[in-house]
Amino acid sequence: MNQRAIGVLWGETRLTGRILSALCIAAAGLFGSGFGVASGTADHSKFKELQAEFKSGQEVTRACLSCHTEASRQVMKTKHWTWEAVNPNTNQKLGKKTLVNNFCIGIASNQAYCTSCHIGYGWKDNSFDFSAEENVDCLVCHDTTGTYRKPSGLAGHPVYKEMEFPPGSGEILHPVDLNKVAQKVGKSSRYNCGACHFYGGRGDGVKHGDLDTSLEAADADVDVHMDATGLDFTCATCHTTTGHAVPGSRYTPVAKDEQRPLLRGMLGMRNPTTCESCHSGRPHTAETMAKIEPLPGFTAVSMAAIVNKHGEKVACQTCHIPAMARGGVATKMKWDWSEAGKMGPDGKPMVVKDVKGHAIYDSKKGAFVLQENVIPEYLWSNGEVIFTTLGDKVVKSDSYTPINRFGGSPNDGKSRIWPVKVFHGVQPYDPVNQTLVIPHTYGTDPDSYAVGFNWEKAVAAGMANRGAPFSGKVDFIKTEMYWRINHMVAPRAGTLKCEECHTKTGNLSRGRMKNVPGLKKGPLFDFKR
Amino acid sequence: MKLHKPLLIGLAACLLGAPLIARAYEGDWKRGHVYYRMVCTECHKTKPCGPIAPSSRTRAEWAAYLQADKHAKGAESLKTYIGKPYRTSIAATNKAAAKFADVPDQELFEDLKAFLDRSAKDGDAPTGCR
Repeated sequence: MNQRAIGVLWGETRLTGRILSALCIAAAGLFGSGFGVASGTADHSKFKELQAEFKSGQEVTRACLSCHTEASRQVMKTKHWTWEAVNPNTNQKLGKKTLVNNFCIGIASNQAYCTSCHIGYGWKDNSFDFSAEENVDCLVCHDTTGTYRKPSGLAGHPVYKEMEFPPGSGEILHPVDLNKVAQKVGKSSRYNCGACHFYGGRGDGVKHGDLDTSLEAADADVDVHMDATGLDFTCATCHTTTGHAVPGSRYTPVAKDEQRPLLRGMLGMRNPTTCESCHSGRPHTAETMAKIEPLPGFTAVSMAAIVNKHGEKVACQTCHIPAMARGGVATKMKWDWSEAGKMGPDGKPMVVKDVKGHAIYDSKKGAFVLQENVIPEYLWSNGEVIFTTLGDKVVKSDSYTPINRFGGSPNDGKSRIWPVKVFHGVQPYDPVNQTLVIPHTYGTDPDSYAVGFNWEKAVAAGMANRGAPFSGKVDFIKTEMYWRINHMVAPRAGTLKCEECHTKTGNLSRGRMKNVPGLKKGPLFDFKR
Repeated sequence: MKLHKPLLIGLAACLLGAPLIARAYEGDWKRGHVYYRMVCTECHKTKPCGPIAPSSRTRAEWAAYLQADKHAKGAESLKTYIGKPYRTSIAATNKAAAKFADVPDQELFEDLKAFLDRSAKDGDAPTGCR
């Protein structure tokens, strides 16, 4: 074999070898691809737009928008972006941007902290550009890696480089791998929504009572719909989005849905988050009622009829959510800001925890009461909600000033009895102007209550940021806020029994409905069983 | 022999590459979470040591624990409790074991690994026993 022949053979062989290698690896890749195949139809890691070295969230958004051209404009129309809403029935201007509550109170002057849950990047003060499409955060809802986090204090940004935060705390935050996150985007899961909604009020389960991290990998006892080994609903299964708008509102809730069950996909103007939108307004049948012990003298058919009749006046949630905070995560029931400012033995701010590790006192925030397995309170609701907003007059008294009030009565034909969490607060207010106030509670500047422990300065900073009047005087006022309970739907066995409301003689004066007005509360019948 | 070097490289890559890429399965941390909570924690509730929060260990500690493959202070293999025979044995009373009955052992192991890495004390989302 001459040199040329050898060279040709060598070259061909080399080529063949490379081809073989490539083919083998490709075949292996195909074989391997059977593992962990994404459920979607697009593997975003294959898109060249996402194979860049992203330095910021906005860079990722620009890449997303190069294909999903309308996504930002859709998001920018939603409350997740504007944090504003106008109640069409009352014309009240609502939304997180505007409202005062009795948890963290309000966002004015605290934006960089509160907006870690804004669906955007950079809302650190009132100069935030709500018209910049690149400021929309796609990843917070579409991350599937579970590594994308927006720490409080960074104005909605994730961590881009290793940093000690808060400064001087010794806590090191590690940067998120934006490339990995961007290449693995997918449909929202309970973890995505929960990253904010489970942590409302600055802690797991704090605000809602029926939303906490026990729903991430829930079992049926906690929520029959989100049961991870059963139906495994995501939030979007019920909160079915249209053009990135997520239905379901605490400002204009539906109290009674009398329409037929909703064929999914045909949304129109219909709210798809009601129980009735799937189950109908008369969901109990002889077949389903045959699975429970009937009352003496009743058949499954008559039981179904009587329970369906209840649905005209009683919300599904009332019977099917027997208690909130059932998954082992306590919910906050009271927050007393007037107790804040007490220092530890070393003269420094302190945090006191109970035996379960819940913070029950924080020098920077005040005193808390937390509870698990909380039985809700019940009230008539017709869907109307009126909020006490920043300029509204409030009068200090022994009773609680409502942050929000639910409209409703037994006889208006629109109301049903709903379960609610009633959250009690003691919060700063302006005794001269007689208004609620927003204090500057977060941040490292001297006006922040967490630094200066001076209420007058903190409230002055908050109200100035909002452009609202402040007399310079601070007092504290007792407030209460209602939160309708919709999640943590129990399985059939956990549903309320008749006697939990009616007692054994049909008497409503001692059961769960004892405080609900307008009910015939005397002994109605005898259904001992 | 020199002539066959590229072919050998190709074949070697084929033999080595296939399993390597097959092993490139990335753990599904969400599935790992369900298994940890509903199988591992559920059983630990009734055992002397009690539930072990993922956030009670660092990522390195969990990685070392999984690598060591020791359970009950080394008396058993940890993988026993991830394997199909174990899942089958408890499937009648454990919905998570039933749901994941057919998941390959190695995949479920990677799922758990991914979950514990994410949920460790110094992970991206430290997680308690819920």
